[in-house]
Amino acid sequence: MTRLRATLYYGILWLISLCFFAPIGWIVLSSFKTQNEILAMPPKLLFSPTFDNYRALFANDGIFKQIANSVFLSLGAVIVAVVVSFLAAFCFSRFKPRGTDFLMFLLLSIRMLPGPAVILPVFLMYVAFGWKDSHLWLLLFYAMFSIPFSVWILKGFLDGVSTRYDETGLVNGGSWMHIIFKVVLPQVRPGLIAAFIFNLIFVWNEYLFNFIIGGVNTQNIPYALMVGTYSDGGLNWTFISAMTSIYMVLPIVFIFIFQKYLLVGMTFGTVRGEV
Amino acid sequence: MSPGMRPQGRGRLMDNPRTRVFILLAPVVTFFVVFNTIPTLWLLGLSFYNHSLTSGMPPEFIGFKNFVAIFNGKNSIWFDLSRTFTFVICGVTFQTLLGAALGFLFWGSKNMPGRRIALTLLFAPMVLTPVATGTFFRFIYDPTFGVLNYIARDGFGMAPIDFLGNPKIAFWAVLAVDSWMWTPFMTLMTLAALGSVPKAELEAAEIDRVPYLRRLSLVIWHHGKFIMMLGILLRTIDSFKTLDLIIPMTKGGPGQSTRLVALELNKQSFESFNMGWSSAYAVLLLLISIAMTSVFIYVLNLRRRKEAEE
Repeated sequence: MTRLRATLYYGILWLISLCFFAPIGWIVLSSFKTQNEILAMPPKLLFSPTFDNYRALFANDGIFKQIANSVFLSLGAVIVAVVVSFLAAFCFSRFKPRGTDFLMFLLLSIRMLPGPAVILPVFLMYVAFGWKDSHLWLLLFYAMFSIPFSVWILKGFLDGVSTRYDETGLVNGGSWMHIIFKVVLPQVRPGLIAAFIFNLIFVWNEYLFNFIIGGVNTQNIPYALMVGTYSDGGLNWTFISAMTSIYMVLPIVFIFIFQKYLLVGMTFGTVRGEV
Repeated sequence: MSPGMRPQGRGRLMDNPRTRVFILLAPVVTFFVVFNTIPTLWLLGLSFYNHSLTSGMPPEFIGFKNFVAIFNGKNSIWFDLSRTFTFVICGVTFQTLLGAALGFLFWGSKNMPGRRIALTLLFAPMVLTPVATGTFFRFIYDPTFGVLNYIARDGFGMAPIDFLGNPKIAFWAVLAVDSWMWTPFMTLMTLAALGSVPKAELEAAEIDRVPYLRRLSLVIWHHGKFIMMLGILLRTIDSFKTLDLIIPMTKGGPGQSTRLVALELNKQSFESFNMGWSSAYAVLLLLISIAMTSVFIYVLNLRRRKEAEE
């Protein structure tokens, strides 16, 4: 009886997950169809898969550059952001300089503003200084935008690391550098990974900032999809489904591998162990 | 200085309370000033000017006229704001209720075969590129070729529905996609919240035969409410900012039925290039988001104050 109930229970959970995944599954299925099969009515569930869409996709020279841009911008920006945020969060958590609360508040308020409102003045500034369409400046802007959330997550985790560790380290003659990087850093690894993943996924999928302060050189995939460079203004469904299927592999692999850190990360450091 | 001296020199800088605070904060403050403080001041200044990038005229100081135009104009901000808040309130409520229900369902499934894969499938919508999701959903919603209409027509014998073309339905169709994307996030937050409940207390409550509802309010809510509140707040903020999901689906149309504040600002600033007007609009949004941030911080501090009391 209990066996049956467990099977039923797990069956329902699997069904829910599959329901949520269904539209994505439909995208992936469509990427193996020809244009006619995609538009067929009634929709085809059984068909002979074709790899032509993927072949056509990689026949575009631009694709590789755009994927490289996506990888470079998201990895670079998030690494810079996590390093900078860790130092700041350590300072806020341990030394509590005057104005900590106010600075934390200001940082967070960037994250609360709708994208166009954030980017509008930055756009004017970038145009005035000639920083538009440059990898470096776009990367730095993305890093800035990833900092607030990282500082908040990391400060939560650092607050959870007892100051006894610092004291022990100091008494035993360790420098602050040693304490920060050798004693405290390893203990907040879940927070670092969570901040890394969340921001990476954000930059990976970001379109507006790249569109406004980037340009043809720095174009990433969401930008290319939005302006419909190869997709006839967003109506070439074979292209879109193949592109999307390729592009979502990385984030999905990440949430599979780092699942437990996502859960721990969202507790903002209130839970140290397994969730 | 010999190379061997360097770590010591750096260490000494870190031992001085003033310099170490300065060293640790310098990068973040630099980032903040260059990419936020200067642009924000620029924005504030520009909001008092009549400045259009397309007219070729130099900016002209017009005082509060931009703000007056935003409140009293034909496309007054009130319509966009009320639409946005409807979007936020309906969306977040639905996502929280469904997400929390799913979270509770998944809570007891530690031994489920393939749990990690199942959760990955469940969380997948929220890591999908919003632009791609929006574009593809336009296809799923399509009145002639879309799957949904096929199901409605052949399964239930209904007339074809133009989900995104009908001003009465479009708003809810967009909200449905948003909910599909973000319900898993609330499930994630619920799982995180439930994970923060100490097992010992749950077991104690079970041994004492505390009824389930009281266990929920006394033990689970007591420990989990902080993370749940964080989840709801994060979702509220992100929902307020919704932009790139809607652009490929409806571009704010049909009519203005899906035009949220972010879409209107995006259109005015980067399609019409009305920089003065848009700056004023952005300043108003900045005030709203500062108010929301304050609520966020207030909730966080509630917990801190309580911990201090305990």
